[in-house]
Amino acid sequence: MIVGEQKPIAEIKAIVKPYKKLLILGCGTCVKTCFAGGEDEVAVLASALRLSFKKDGKAIDIAEYTIERQCENEFIQEAAKVIAQNDSVLSLACGAGVQAIARRFAKIPVLPGVNTTFLGVLERQGFFTEECTGCGNCVLGIFGGICPITRCAKKLLNGPCGGSQKGYCEIKAETECAWHLIIDRSKSLGQLNNLTTYVPPKDWRSSNSGGPRRLVREDHII
Amino acid sequence: MEPNYKPKIALFHCINSFNEGLFLPLNGRVDVALNVIRLACSSMIKDIVLLKAFEAGADAVLVMVCPEGQCRYVEGNIRAKKRTQWVKSLLDEIGLDGRRLSISHMSLQDTDAPEQIIQETLAVLNDLGPNPAV
Repeated sequence: MIVGEQKPIAEIKAIVKPYKKLLILGCGTCVKTCFAGGEDEVAVLASALRLSFKKDGKAIDIAEYTIERQCENEFIQEAAKVIAQNDSVLSLACGAGVQAIARRFAKIPVLPGVNTTFLGVLERQGFFTEECTGCGNCVLGIFGGICPITRCAKKLLNGPCGGSQKGYCEIKAETECAWHLIIDRSKSLGQLNNLTTYVPPKDWRSSNSGGPRRLVREDHII
Repeated sequence: MEPNYKPKIALFHCINSFNEGLFLPLNGRVDVALNVIRLACSSMIKDIVLLKAFEAGADAVLVMVCPEGQCRYVEGNIRAKKRTQWVKSLLDEIGLDGRRLSISHMSLQDTDAPEQIIQETLAVLNDLGPNPAV
C-alpha cells in the first residue's frame, strides 16, 4: 500500500488560506488504512480547520467528501458535482490521487494535504514499514523475498557491509539489517546458494531515474 | 471576559466510571452549563466527537474514564486516553489550547472527584476565557 501522513495544520492552513469554499476530499483506500486521508481524517481535519479559522476570524466554508480511490476516473466522477460547488480542493490522497483530480478539473486548484511517504506494509495497527522502492525490476526472488534495494541503507546486492550490530543496521539502530534477514531467510528456505551468484550493478533505467514511467496493457485497452 | 459569562463544559463519561446523579447537586452549586454525554465505554471517544463538542460551543471538554487496568472492555480507557492526548496536541496546534481538554481516571467510589475536576477546569477557563472559535 501507499503510505502517507497528513501535513501539519499550519502548512495546510497556509495552503488553503486564499480560498473561500474548500472541499476536503478523502481517499478510501491506501491513505485511509494509514490514517492520513480516509473519511475519519477528512472529518477531523475539517473540524480542526473550521475551529482554527473561526478563531482567526476568517470566513471559509469547508465541505467534506470521500471517494473510494482518487486515482481512478470511475470514482473521481462521483465527486465531480461536489468539486464543482467549491473553489478549491484539498486532496488527502497520495500524490497520484492529487494529480489525477487536478488533471480532470482544469479551473479548480487541487492542493495536497498529505505527504506521500513510501510503499509499505502495515506491520500492526498504527505501525507501517517501507518495503518497496518501485525500482521497476524486482529482485526479491534472489534475496529470499527481502528487498536489499529498499531495506538496506546502502542498497548492497552482494552481501552485508559488515557494520551491522546484532542484526541491526549501523546507520539506523532501530532498523533490522536487511542482509541479516536475507541470510536467515535463505538458510531457512535452503536457498543459501542463491547468494553465491554475483549480482551485477542494478540497472536503474527502469526506475524513476528515467523520468515518469508508464505501464501499458494492450490486452485491456479497447 | 464578559461579566455574565457562564462556562460551557461538555463532559463525556463512561457509565462505569461514576454515578451521573452526582451532577444534580453540582449544577446548583457551580455556575456552569454542563452537557453530560454518557458512553457505554470510553472507547467510544473519537477525535471527531471531541472536536465537534468545541465546534458546538464548549469552552472545555472533560473525559472521565475508569481507572487504568479496570476497563470492563479491557482497553477502552487506554484508547480514550490516547485519542484525548492526540486531540489536545491538535488543539495546541490550532491555537485553541490543549488545556481546554482533559481526561481523568476515576471509579464509582470517587464521589468527590467529579466536582473537584470541574472546579479545576473552571479555574483553567478563568485563565483561558471562552472558546475563541465560537
